[in-house]
Amino acid sequence: MNSVYQMVEVFAVASGKGGTGKTTSTLALGMALATEYDVTVIDADTGMANILFHTGLSDSEPTLHEVLAGDATVEQAVYERFEMKVIPCGTSLAGFREADPTRLRDVVATVAEQTEIILLDSAATLGTRSAVLPIVLADQVVIVLQPTVPSLSDGLKVQEYATTYGTDVAGILFNRVSPDEEIDTIATKAGRYFEGETLAKVPESEVVRAARRASKPLLAHAAQSKAATAYRDAAEKLTVRGSTTGEVADRFRNAVIPDDG
Amino acid sequence: MNLAQGQLVRQRVLEDVHTVLVTAFDRELTGYARLEPQDTLLLDASGVGVLVFEDGIPVGAYHTGTDSSGPTAVTDIGSSGPYRLELYELDAELTEQIHDDNSLRVPPAMPATQLSDDTELIERTRDRAPAEWQQDEQPTSLDAVEQFLDDQSRVEEIRDRARSEARKRAEEWDFPTDQT
Repeated sequence: MNSVYQMVEVFAVASGKGGTGKTTSTLALGMALATEYDVTVIDADTGMANILFHTGLSDSEPTLHEVLAGDATVEQAVYERFEMKVIPCGTSLAGFREADPTRLRDVVATVAEQTEIILLDSAATLGTRSAVLPIVLADQVVIVLQPTVPSLSDGLKVQEYATTYGTDVAGILFNRVSPDEEIDTIATKAGRYFEGETLAKVPESEVVRAARRASKPLLAHAAQSKAATAYRDAAEKLTVRGSTTGEVADRFRNAVIPDDG
Repeated sequence: MNLAQGQLVRQRVLEDVHTVLVTAFDRELTGYARLEPQDTLLLDASGVGVLVFEDGIPVGAYHTGTDSSGPTAVTDIGSSGPYRLELYELDAELTEQIHDDNSLRVPPAMPATQLSDDTELIERTRDRAPAEWQQDEQPTSLDAVEQFLDDQSRVEEIRDRARSEARKRAEEWDFPTDQT
């Protein structure tokens, strides 16, 4: 494969706040996009890994932790699951301590040579360099929101971080929307402040929790559910422009990041 | 406003205010939580937020950075985590001065509604709070969201603050920005 001409688009899925269903959203968008593209999902939330529990990879090793610690190659931590490539992150404190989060840049650069879309499941905070790094590395950010003041406020912060670092906003995705909530009014009002379009209004649903209990992504567990349909519609709205891997690699390498944080 | 010093019962760093509300509720705290933004880079977010509790129920709030009080202070507190939290116990008569000051007062479930998505906490707070405290409880969660989105200057302030925070951190962390 000629890496210079291959195209890749990197999306960070971020929320700035926990409990919005970011991991569910990342995997749902990944599976939806995987019907058309070669997709790699990376659990970039190295402090609170989640993807492994959603993909039946709880006992898998090596994970991103070992890669970031220099104890495994990227290729060794890639697992083929649900028509996607998945790089899970481990949950051990030791793994977290030994990992050098700034190596994520090199991991993304390596993966970029072998896939068409990279989805980075990001940390639910903007408090540390490693938490913000996925947003810096991505071409676009998908902001996952709940219709609450703290979630919208944190989503706005994610947007401003992204645009400050030259990352576009792909759109906002309202998640865990209760049936009685007048989400349309709120989405319209929120749209005045957010760049990108409203990608979806995903209903709160028991099937989401059931999928998690079954250690499967939503689209594998309940493909016909309303929530799954909403995610497929959201994936349709994403613009996959593609940068050449050369451009992507240059950008990563230009993001010079000090060693300690 | 001045509150008596009180007895320090807990000290830690927190990502969000939800934990404060749960901790105060579970301890049935009569006293106050002092919330100081932990990140000294956030010069614009300087100042200390204070939430006052009686039997674990929020009764008042103020913010020294924005000089706001009552519900507005609750919102200001919510926009500047992570925090260094200190929880203080106080004698009940000292928190009663909050009840006498309408500008400081907050509806019991308002902080939980604005600062968390914890519907169980909201319900439990309403259940425990005496009925007379709840008279000025109005906005439902969605009303609060709409009010927030209608307040353009407040939203712009959050965005401006986040942009300057992102730029300051870019310098410190050596991240590239659109300006560089």
